[in-house]
Amino acid sequence: MGAAADLAARLDAAGWTVAAPREHPMLGVAESRWCSPERLVESVRAARDAGFFYESMTCVDRLEADAAFELVYTFNRYDEAARLALRVRAPKDQPVPSLAGVYSIAAWNEREAWEFYGLGFAGHPNLTWLLLPEDTDFHPLLKSFTAPPPSIYDDSLNPPAATGDAHQH
Amino acid sequence: MRTSTEAPATDPLDTYVLNMGPQHPSTHGVLRLKLTLQGERVLDVDPVIGYSHRAHEKMAENRTYAQFFPNTSRQDYLSGLIYNVAWAEAVEKLAGIAVPERALVARVILSEFNRIASHLLWVGAFLMDLGAATPFLYSFDDRETILGLLETVTGSRLTYGTARFGGLSKDLDGDFPRRARAVLAKLRARWPEFEGLIEGNVIFRQRTRGVGVMSLAQCHAWGVTGPMLRASGVAYDVRKAEPYGAYPRFSFDIPTRPEGDVFARYMVRIAEMQQSVRIIEQALDALPAGPILTEGSIGVKKRLKPPAGTLYYAVESARGAYGIVIVSEGGTEPWRAKFRTPSYANLAAMQDVMRGTMVADAVAILGSADVVMPEIDR
Repeated sequence: MGAAADLAARLDAAGWTVAAPREHPMLGVAESRWCSPERLVESVRAARDAGFFYESMTCVDRLEADAAFELVYTFNRYDEAARLALRVRAPKDQPVPSLAGVYSIAAWNEREAWEFYGLGFAGHPNLTWLLLPEDTDFHPLLKSFTAPPPSIYDDSLNPPAATGDAHQH
Repeated sequence: MRTSTEAPATDPLDTYVLNMGPQHPSTHGVLRLKLTLQGERVLDVDPVIGYSHRAHEKMAENRTYAQFFPNTSRQDYLSGLIYNVAWAEAVEKLAGIAVPERALVARVILSEFNRIASHLLWVGAFLMDLGAATPFLYSFDDRETILGLLETVTGSRLTYGTARFGGLSKDLDGDFPRRARAVLAKLRARWPEFEGLIEGNVIFRQRTRGVGVMSLAQCHAWGVTGPMLRASGVAYDVRKAEPYGAYPRFSFDIPTRPEGDVFARYMVRIAEMQQSVRIIEQALDALPAGPILTEGSIGVKKRLKPPAGTLYYAVESARGAYGIVIVSEGGTEPWRAKFRTPSYANLAAMQDVMRGTMVADAVAILGSADVVMPEIDR
């Protein structure tokens, strides 16, 4: 049994995994599990202690269909190909536990999800903008976000004042 | 969590903050490091990033799979061809598109040339950071030769767009193997010169040995991959761990060094270039005849609708493990595309590695990480 299957079986046995809320296949991984947000930190700590590293975290907007975000975490090993995907259904406006205390790199990934989706992370040491300018007050990776607001960085987005009026004053 | 290895300064007036960048030659692009210093000692590092954020992931959701090709090589502009090919391979896997043998091998040849070109630029720029101007001239001479060769096939020198779903847009011409072998011969003749000029240089050794040591535990905590990881003694390479494309056919080694310092990262990259030369030679010998693009695939114009599903696809870029996550809902555009770029983790790890070092060493350590900001900021 590979290390990913081994770990997934242990998470199953501990009762930390949950049934998939929807059918959506996961490809390119050795094992894939859905995990409840309440058990996420324990599950990830088990992955770390088993020798896995934190590979990636992807936030997916499922608000329209499911009123929730989907978080896809992947963990892998240096000594064998053992990619494990942990998927979490994160209801809107409910913060997800931060993994920054388990893996240092998680802090940056969570800052990204926070600024691009407005998803909170409970216990994050420094939840602030990472890639977007400080004080950005919109979340551009939300599906509901379709047009950039008028930007202080780009004059071309502000429509020019009507020239006729300008002459009358 | 951050834990300082140094005793915190007792007097706050004793410490000060120095902004390194965002416009600084040694930050290689627009990166700002907020260094908290006590004298010349680095107490804390806070990388400020995002200056070259162009919303590649949002763009991916608003264009067809084929229309996203130009974005791929603009993430890591130094090994863009690898990223370009990776996008093609990820979507091919998701949509079940067959690729002709010749295209698979040609992709390996072009990707490995691109890897060498990327490492060569790093050698020149890194040595420049350390105050050595001459190696830059040597490495750029070789890089120029490679870029010229790649240009004859792809039409581009930096932001390649030659990959297509089902192959490549242009075939290698009949004269390509001869020209490629000439480039390899030139590279082979160069290694001894590098050895004498750089490795044997006492100043270089003093500046790099024992500096910026990264432990295996740190690699784990930050998800470090690529030459940075291999210089810390871990033989992890996606080309071996999860073989893709035509890589399983070629024999090559994964160079590692146990030291984990800046010098080890230099030695690993030099050895990697030599392994890439090995791969290219085998690939040129084994280059099959036949089509370069799958019959019936009309390249960019075809509107793909991959089945619903989430795919993780990983390749080894010049900087480490590059991952593409595509979430498909069965439409003509990805529902979500996420790019796990190696420099992202490698730069983040610098927060730990640089703490406690001297400012001059911090420059050497950052240089040894070979970060490319556009792939971090995306």
